[in-house]
Amino acid sequence: MSTGIKNLVRTLDSVDFLKMDRRTFMKALGAMGAATFLGTYKSDIVSALDFAETKLVWLHGSECTGCSESVLNAGNPDLVQALQKLNVNLVFHETICAQQGIWNDGKLVNNAELNSEVLLEDTYKQGGYILVVEGSIPNGPDGSGRYLVIGNKTFKESLAEAAKNAVAIVAVGACAAYGGITSADSEVAKDTDYRGVAFAKEDPTKGMLKELGIDKPVINIPGCPAHPDWVLLTLGAVILGKIKIPNDLDTLLDNYGRPKVFYPPDHTVHDNCPRRGYYDRGELDEEVGGPGCLWKLGCKAPYAHADCGIRRWNGSVSMCTQAGGPCIACVEPNFPDGSRPLYVEAEDKGVLLGANIDTVSKVAVGAAAVAAGVHAVRRMGKGE
Amino acid sequence: MVNVTVDPLTRIEGHQRISTEVDANGFITDAQSSSLIFRGFERILQKQDPRDAAFLTQRICGVCPISHGMTATNALDDLYGVADQVPKDALVMRNIFQGLNMIASHATHIYVLFGPDLANPAYKKVLTTLGDTGSAVWNEMVGRFAPISYKMDGAPVPVGSSYLAAIPEKKRLQEAIALIAGRMPGPSSLYPGGYTYPATVADITKLSTYYLQVMDFVSKHTLRVDFNTWIENTYKASSPQKAVSFVTEHLQGLVDKATTSNDFSKEAGWGDVEFYAAFGSELVGETLLGLPASLKHDTIGGYKDPSKICFVSYGGYYKPKDGYDPKSPAGDRIFTSGVVSGKLEYQKFDPEKITESTAHSFYNNSTKDLAPAKGETIPYTDPNKIAFTGGSDSQYSWDKAPRYDGIPGEVGPLARMLNIKEPLVTGLAQVFAEKGYSPANVYTRMLARMQEVTILAYELLNWVTVDYTPGGKISVPIDLNAAKNNQGMGLWEAPRGALGHWVSAGSDGKVTNYQCVVPGTWLMSPRDSNGIPGPLEQSLIGSKINTVGDVDYTNPFGIFHMGRSYDPCISCAVHTIDLTGKNAPNTLRIV
Repeated sequence: MSTGIKNLVRTLDSVDFLKMDRRTFMKALGAMGAATFLGTYKSDIVSALDFAETKLVWLHGSECTGCSESVLNAGNPDLVQALQKLNVNLVFHETICAQQGIWNDGKLVNNAELNSEVLLEDTYKQGGYILVVEGSIPNGPDGSGRYLVIGNKTFKESLAEAAKNAVAIVAVGACAAYGGITSADSEVAKDTDYRGVAFAKEDPTKGMLKELGIDKPVINIPGCPAHPDWVLLTLGAVILGKIKIPNDLDTLLDNYGRPKVFYPPDHTVHDNCPRRGYYDRGELDEEVGGPGCLWKLGCKAPYAHADCGIRRWNGSVSMCTQAGGPCIACVEPNFPDGSRPLYVEAEDKGVLLGANIDTVSKVAVGAAAVAAGVHAVRRMGKGE
Repeated sequence: MVNVTVDPLTRIEGHQRISTEVDANGFITDAQSSSLIFRGFERILQKQDPRDAAFLTQRICGVCPISHGMTATNALDDLYGVADQVPKDALVMRNIFQGLNMIASHATHIYVLFGPDLANPAYKKVLTTLGDTGSAVWNEMVGRFAPISYKMDGAPVPVGSSYLAAIPEKKRLQEAIALIAGRMPGPSSLYPGGYTYPATVADITKLSTYYLQVMDFVSKHTLRVDFNTWIENTYKASSPQKAVSFVTEHLQGLVDKATTSNDFSKEAGWGDVEFYAAFGSELVGETLLGLPASLKHDTIGGYKDPSKICFVSYGGYYKPKDGYDPKSPAGDRIFTSGVVSGKLEYQKFDPEKITESTAHSFYNNSTKDLAPAKGETIPYTDPNKIAFTGGSDSQYSWDKAPRYDGIPGEVGPLARMLNIKEPLVTGLAQVFAEKGYSPANVYTRMLARMQEVTILAYELLNWVTVDYTPGGKISVPIDLNAAKNNQGMGLWEAPRGALGHWVSAGSDGKVTNYQCVVPGTWLMSPRDSNGIPGPLEQSLIGSKINTVGDVDYTNPFGIFHMGRSYDPCISCAVHTIDLTGKNAPNTLRIV
């Protein structure tokens, strides 16, 4: 190991996250991957502080399990190690828990070690847990919530029970945050009436908690799927008490409830896209499979507020645009409608999204569109 | 008679309700499988740019998004009329991409979804009464397969060794997919006419490293016998009988060594596959190998009436050449399409014979059984009609009931292995049938999945090292006008089974109808218009809720096994290397 690497390891190893003020902490968080954060977080600090076990309840609504899959891809340490480092008791997670719902003649039987519904009832009574929601919540048909029933209850009811005694609520993925794919425009969208936990698309007055009359703050970690770093780092910050709920949320979150440190209002995926150089030179691909900028293939990176370009995905090996597919702006509140049609260039999206998009990025989008136009003219001049 | 309901059935992708009537001896006399979620996916695609389907249908399932993306892309290749021109290297990239996903998916199913049930307290109760051997077997089961946050009798149980070791491997496989597809889940690299990312020599080198790491896990935990020896004597065996003999002899050798030591550890040669192959089955374990006990997984999850079931495969993985025929997947696929009857007779697959019934589903569709391309999705909008306790004659699920020539079909690894006449799985199925067991049961379903992993690991090497040429042509342009008033059919194989997408476009080239028939629908389907139960329902009816020990309505682990044995879904991956010799995944020369 070179001296430089040794020094780096020593520096990271000596970082005492708990002593950092919140601002520095959040900055550090943004710069780091979950691997670095959790890997260097000293367990002796945890034990010295007699760090209490944190209970985590992870509910699945109308979802595809993609966000859980994504979190299972968390780096080194992996999810199990991360839970151990942060002293988290993952009480319930539908895809990985040992339990299931067991009923005899309509009544719950056995105990919390085997029966998930008994376990959840007990946990909700005790309170003091962090609630993670993956997937959206159907309000339909007719406000009944019956388009999703789990364990003899509508998911709408389950969410109300779970939210009541939660100390923090985190909505993971586009669906839980804003409704995502389930809220996409269609002839049945009115009937299904899918909602996010705190938002319905861009609308914070139509979130399911509001509908249920529950007034609790929610941290949104959108993305289709959410990046494991975004999820684990946010949970880590909440668990370590570095994000105080609700006091810190006003400054930490943007208008759509997203931590600005991962979804920067003044930064888009386009800024650090691996194909950015091609864009700047006006080399805009019109067929897939090439090395150039994907703008003309419908890339929505200039509208997507996320740090994908810096962080990249799956152990930082790649990202959507690196592999030649357009960015679909899956972190934005109106995904997928705001991004459709996915393969058609979107010079007017700034207007479509404009009512809700931050001013800075609106300017950036305008500039991008102009630049694309300029390049097109230049290329025409060269007879291409 | 006791109503025993499992709701939710966890450790699957999504949520499922299984309601059963159970008699005093623990046998299930009636069952309903209910999916109680409506998302309206097919309607979301209507009036839209067809190309969006490759992205958006991935969101149907985050566990195998690749399979939906692939099937949609096949349907789009057909819709735009370019299927016969897709370059060889694009097809090989798609194979690698899907192959990695299928391996990861199966590994996740085996270790994270199905495996934890082997640490069920009921097994402890039974096994620990069987002296040192029983206790040793139980210690292996809980020591390998216990999930996270697991407690027994109030005490936390340490996470199982195989479970714990599998999680980083799953992550590694996903990383390999991301390397050639942008990210996982939610990859971005599929497009009609080809593939968006030409893997470089550097990518191939990196994939090879992943591959070796994963194979290292396999050799330590999963399969202790040498990988090449296994492939040569099973997948490449000259007859089903020879493949079965090889495996039973291999297991007999392990059993003989363990009779005095009671050492069933991985170090003693008992990989997870060997362990389950021996102890999972009454016929193999107790009758053939003379073990004192087994989990009897071959006694549940079978079909009682062979005339009411078939095994359907649409065919997956392209042959490495330019272009393919989207209408006739049989000759153009490495995993051939086909249908095997409940009596194990082989038939040719004809997509025209697929219909869907909604007689017991929550839809206001027309009452006739419809071909998927003409399918309707008109959901109930009256909340009171969305009930699920009305019994077998009522409407009780959002699943439609797909049928092949009017018969329910099991899809998935077992169906694929039977259709390609894979020697080991075919041989096992024949042995079970001869001895009066259902050839399909929880045990054969799991072994078929395990065997498919080894086959894919073997085939992947060929795709990466032999068939893919870095720098080759990766796509052909499509003409958007070609979609106008046209239709496309995509037939493919997801980890869980046969997956089909049907797309129609109007005069504006936009989607007029999009229908998906997914493996979960085949497997979990409710009764059809003739009242025939779906595959899971059939496998439940007549099976016991406890395979061993006393009847316990409060711990119906047989239902857990049966439900999960069909793999309600997930994903994974491998390598890119040049072989120094044939079939030598562990010896490689980096290109």
